[in-house]
Amino acid sequence: MSRGQNTSSTTSAANAAILAAALVFATLPLWADKGLVFLAGIVMVQIVFAVSFNLMFGLTGLVSFGQAAFFAAGAYTAAWLGRAVPELPFLIFCLAGGLVGALLALLIGVVALRRASGIYFAILTLALGQLVYTLIGKSDALGREDGLVGIKRPVIDLFVGTLDLSIGDRYYYFLLVACGILLGLLWWVWHGQLGRLLAALRQDAERIRFFGVNVRRYREIAFIISGGVTALAGALVAPWSQIITPAIAHWSYSALPILFCLLGGASRFWGPAVGAIVFAGLEYATRTMVGVSELIVGGALLVVVLAMPGGIVGTLSLLARKLTKNGKERLNEQSA
Amino acid sequence: MVGDFLLVGLNGMTWAMAVFLVAAGLTLIFGILHILNFSHGGFVMIGAYLTYTLINQTSGPTGIFVFLAVAVLCAAVVGVLGYVIDRTVFERLKAVDDSYSLIATYAMLILCEGGVKLVWGPDFIALPPPAGLDGALLLGDLFIPSYSLFVILSGIVVFLVLDFWIHRTRSGKVMQSVALDPWMANVLGININAMFTTAVVAGFALAGLAGGLLAPNQSLSPGLGGTYIIQAFGVIIVGGIGNVRGAFIAALVLGMIDAFGTVYVPEYPGIFFYIAVAGILMYRPQGLLSGIR
Repeated sequence: MSRGQNTSSTTSAANAAILAAALVFATLPLWADKGLVFLAGIVMVQIVFAVSFNLMFGLTGLVSFGQAAFFAAGAYTAAWLGRAVPELPFLIFCLAGGLVGALLALLIGVVALRRASGIYFAILTLALGQLVYTLIGKSDALGREDGLVGIKRPVIDLFVGTLDLSIGDRYYYFLLVACGILLGLLWWVWHGQLGRLLAALRQDAERIRFFGVNVRRYREIAFIISGGVTALAGALVAPWSQIITPAIAHWSYSALPILFCLLGGASRFWGPAVGAIVFAGLEYATRTMVGVSELIVGGALLVVVLAMPGGIVGTLSLLARKLTKNGKERLNEQSA
Repeated sequence: MVGDFLLVGLNGMTWAMAVFLVAAGLTLIFGILHILNFSHGGFVMIGAYLTYTLINQTSGPTGIFVFLAVAVLCAAVVGVLGYVIDRTVFERLKAVDDSYSLIATYAMLILCEGGVKLVWGPDFIALPPPAGLDGALLLGDLFIPSYSLFVILSGIVVFLVLDFWIHRTRSGKVMQSVALDPWMANVLGININAMFTTAVVAGFALAGLAGGLLAPNQSLSPGLGGTYIIQAFGVIIVGGIGNVRGAFIAALVLGMIDAFGTVYVPEYPGIFFYIAVAGILMYRPQGLLSGIR
């Protein structure tokens, strides 16, 4: 991709937007009602979910349709451990959730990445994801269809003292920090050496293979990181919503990150985040209208996919580039 | 014991033919256009709801011929919807990436769900089988619902008609050539755009027909489209996407595995379907049969 001299102004505009969004999320409990704060917490987790999914989708170019399985694996592991061994610290539950998600991704990746690619990979991951969904929904230890209820918000031991996250909006701020750290990690992967290699795999896997790179292994690594971070997001959401049901393992939950990515723009790191926020806004605005809600969400999605292939972020940056270009040309004409 | 065995086989067969009815149009459209139509289940659902409304318009007990006529009428209505969608949406999806068309059609599934909720409401609706199909046949000590036999027969008839069309008629052969090499077909003077549209309309009409025939099979709810599509996805991918014969065989194989699996492991009903899909795709990633044949 060629970069014009106006990139810096677009980048600074984007940075300003990210900063503004982070500020809105950080100050939300001060001015918004409880329902909105709860929704914002869910959206933060969904942003991590979608951005980690995009490591496979936007960066590596593989559509996994079973991502919800990892989210559920993380959430159920953390919640189940919280019941079985409540004396252990909360961070252990989260890490265990992430680990289980990464292991599950390793397993599914070995099966699905072996030969399948493209649409077959999508359907194979869908089938395996549904397998996890069915297992969770029929398992007594995980509460069958009713899920696990009454999940407690934890007390964290900080060595100098303890921090009770069940009070007020504390867990919200904890989520904010945790999601920020996870996004930072993903940012580092996306922009680092591994990220560049994965992007190259998307563009021309055959050529990369000729350079002596084990293509399948790197796809598996991407899948494991993606699944592990998704599972961490799931582990974080359990104490926030305080109830988890098999719905978070269902295929329609796997469709969410794909939706966010295409809505926001899969080729940019922050695209899925924009998609998640816009989608939540649409749903929130139409929540009371039975049927109309689906029509608006489905219609908006259809229009974006058909008319804006780069998603919202892609289209905006294209617009910005055109605008600044026109402005510069006009400036040049005036000076001439 | 033998009776139980037969009954389980019959259940598997009923499931297989019901899913094949849904999968037939889906695999046909993919075979020609290479678009995996996520909304297919949504249009099956619309066909089922339309059938419910039309049958409630007729007074008195519905006979089997009225029922069939209604199902065919629904096929025609959904076929016309298919024409509109071909012009407005599919036309633009031919050039884009697989994942984009998957999501664009997923958006249409959401639209179908919204439409159904608006028109028919979010609650469950039940449609009894028509007169003549609401009873059961007694074969020895085996109790067979006649509606199950009807679903099995419908699946087989639809398969035979489709297979005859694709393999034994001129227009079917032309369709195969368009699927294999649209450019060459175009050079040979075949109107490929007309063939694309024909495939989409036929696929949607099959969705409407499936909805009509299967409407009494289960209670209707706005989530039905999603349930249908996932099973149909499994069947067509195992059969080899785009291959009608493959879909028929895959439906039978998966139906039997799931039916017998559920008997032996009753704690996890439905799980064997997914295990079988994953297992078969591990060894034959391209599916049992491949290409449009």
